[in-house]
Amino acid sequence: MSDVMSDVLMRLEGVSRCYGSGEATVWALHDVTLSIHAGDFVSIVGPSGSGKSTMLGLLGCLDSPTSGSITVGGVEVTGLADAARTHVRGQSIGFVFQQFHLIPHLDALGNVETALLYRDLKPAERRERSMESLERVGLGHRFDHRPVQLSGGEQQRVALARALVTQPKILLADEPTGALDTRNAANVMEILAGLQSDERAVVIVTHDTDIANSAARKVSMLDGRIVSDEVLR
Amino acid sequence: MNVFRDLVRVAMVGLLARKVRTLLLLLGPMIGVAAIIAAVGLTDSAKGDLKAKVAELGTNLVEASASSSFGGQNPTLPRDVVERAMTVTSVRSVAPIVELSNIIVTPYEEAREKYETVPIPVVGADENLPVVLEVPMVSGRWINSFDEGSNARSAVIGVGLAREFGVLPEELRTIDVGGFDYTVVGILDSVLLEPGFDTAVFISFASAENDFLDDDVLPNKIYARVDPSRVDETADALTTAIGLGGPDEVKTDVKSEALELAAQSDRQLQLIVVSMGLLAIIVGGLGIANVMSISVIQRSSEIGIRRALGHTRKIIAVQFLLEAIVVGVIGGICGVLLGMLAIFVGASIAGWVFVMAPWLAPAGVVLAITISVMAGLYPARRAARLEPLETLRLG
Ligand SMILES: Nc1ncnc2c1ncn2[C@@H]1O[C@H](COP(=O)(O)OP(=O)(O)OP(=O)(O)O)[C@@H](O)[C@H]1O
Ligand SMILES: [Mg+2]
Repeated sequence: MSDVMSDVLMRLEGVSRCYGSGEATVWALHDVTLSIHAGDFVSIVGPSGSGKSTMLGLLGCLDSPTSGSITVGGVEVTGLADAARTHVRGQSIGFVFQQFHLIPHLDALGNVETALLYRDLKPAERRERSMESLERVGLGHRFDHRPVQLSGGEQQRVALARALVTQPKILLADEPTGALDTRNAANVMEILAGLQSDERAVVIVTHDTDIANSAARKVSMLDGRIVSDEVLR
Repeated sequence: MNVFRDLVRVAMVGLLARKVRTLLLLLGPMIGVAAIIAAVGLTDSAKGDLKAKVAELGTNLVEASASSSFGGQNPTLPRDVVERAMTVTSVRSVAPIVELSNIIVTPYEEAREKYETVPIPVVGADENLPVVLEVPMVSGRWINSFDEGSNARSAVIGVGLAREFGVLPEELRTIDVGGFDYTVVGILDSVLLEPGFDTAVFISFASAENDFLDDDVLPNKIYARVDPSRVDETADALTTAIGLGGPDEVKTDVKSEALELAAQSDRQLQLIVVSMGLLAIIVGGLGIANVMSISVIQRSSEIGIRRALGHTRKIIAVQFLLEAIVVGVIGGICGVLLGMLAIFVGASIAGWVFVMAPWLAPAGVVLAITISVMAGLYPARRAARLEPLETLRLG
C-alpha cells in the first residue's frame, strides 16, 4: 500500500451510515476510514450484514453518508448535489453487481453502449469503443446476443465490459462471482484482475476466501467497522 | 445535439422492444383523436354541399324591400331607388323588381282551371336582374331594352316553371299571364338565394304597367351586390338611402344569411361526439400514466443501473417523458389518419362531400402529444426519484 497522498483515488474519513431512526436505527457503517489508491486490488470480506455493500455504495457515490467525509480524486463529494455526484460516477467509477443488471431488451453491444449514452459521442465512436470493450472480455463474437441468450458467466462479462468501457479510475464489484459457478467465477476474476492497472483500482466485495486471498489487499469488516486491513502481496 | 439524438434513439428502441405495450399506449390517444376528427369532419361534411354553395354564391347580395308601416297594400320603393342605392359607395350593382300579386298564369287558356289555385309569382324586372343575381340563362335570352321600349309581351320563366309547363329550351311558346298571351323568350336557371324565382314569370316593367297596374309602375324591391367586406353596414346604409322621405318603410336582408345558417354544422351533435372523443383521449392518457407507472416499477433495475452508469435524474425523467411524447406523436398521427378515413368512408356512404378543416390535423396531433406528456409526467418523476442503490440491491 502506497502512502503517497497523490496516489489516493478515493478516501472515506470517519464515515458512518445509519438506516432508520429512533428505536429502529441500524448503524450499517460506523466511523470507517479507508483509502483506495491507484493500482490497488482490494478485497472486502466480512459476514453478512457487516456493511460491505453499504461501504461500496458510498465509495461509488451511490449513497450519501450520515456523517463523515468522502473524497474522490481529492474532491469532496459528500455535500455535492445529486447531479454532480452522478457526474462523478459516470466519469470515475465502474460497477459490477452480483445480479448482472443487464437491460433485457438490449443486446450485449447495446448494454455496453448504454454506459456511453448522453456523452456527446458520435454513434460510430461509441460503437467502436463498446466493441473493443466486449472483445476485451472475450465476447466480441456475441455482441448481438440478448441477455437471455447468454450464460450467467457471459452476462457478467458483458456487465464487466459495460463497467470498463468508460475507462473508470475505480472498479467496484459487489460479489461479482456470487451467482456464478466455479469455472465462470474464475474466468470473471481473471478478467477483473487483469483490469487492475497502475492508474486504476479494483475493489471486490466477496464471500469467497480464495478470491479474497488472491487480492493484493484484504479489508475485513464486522458490524459496520473495519477490523483489519492487510496487505497480502 | 448528440445527446438529444441519444434520447430519441433510446426512446424508440425502448418502445420497439415492447411492441404490445407500445400498441396499448398508442391506442388511447389514437382512438380519442380519431373520434374527435371524425366527429368534426363528419358533421362538417354533412353540410359540405351547402358550405360550398355559400362560398360559390357569395355573401354580398343584399335585398331591400318596401314594407308598409301600417298594413297598407302594395308598399313601394321610390321611383329613383336605383340612383339612391348607388349613392351608397359600397354598392356595386342594383336591380329593381316589382312583385305583382293575384295573377293567374297558365300554360294555355284551357288549363286555367287547373292553375287557378296555384300561385305563380309574376315579377316585373329590368335587364340587370340576372347580372346582379349572377344567374345564367338555361336557354334563350333575358328581357332586354327592346321589350321594355315596345309593347311586345315577352316573358322569361324560371327553370322550375319550365319543367312544370313542359316548355322545352328554345321552343317557341306562349303562356297565358293574367289573360294575356306572353311569348316565352328564355328560361332562367335556378336562383339559389331566391328559391321562389324557380317558378316565377319575369316580364318587363313596361308590360307590368300596361297589363296589370292602374298606376305607374314602381319597384317594391331591389337586389344589390355590395362590397363583401362591408355587407352589414351597407345594408344599414341602404335602409336610410332608400327609405328617406318615402311613404313606406324599407327592410334589408342579406340573402346568404339563411343559407349560411343552414350550412352551419350541427354544433350540438359535434359537441357531444367531440366530448366523447375527449373522454376517450383522457382515458387513454390515464392508461398511459398507468402503464408507464407499472413500467417504471418493472424497469427499476434498468433505471438503477443507468443511474449508476452516470445518467442523471433529469436524463431519466426526460427519457421517460420522451417515450410518452413519441407515443403522443405516433398516436396522434395515426388518430388523424384514422379519423380522416372515417370521414371519407362516412361521407362516401352518405353521399356527402369530404370536408375536413385543415387545422384539425395539427390540432389532433398537438392534443395527443399534450395528453401523453401530461400522462408521462408522473411516471417520469417517479422514475427519476428512484434511489439507485435500493433498486440495485433488490434487482
Ligand atoms: N435500505 C436499508 N434500510 C435499512 N437497513 C439497511 C438498508 N440497507 C442495508 N441495511 C442494513 O445495513 C446493514 C449492512 O448491510 P449491507 O448490505 O451493507 O451488508 P453486507 O455486508 O453487504 O451483507 P451481505 O454479505 O449479506 O450482502 C445490514 O444490517 C442491513 O440490514
Ligand atoms: Mg452485500
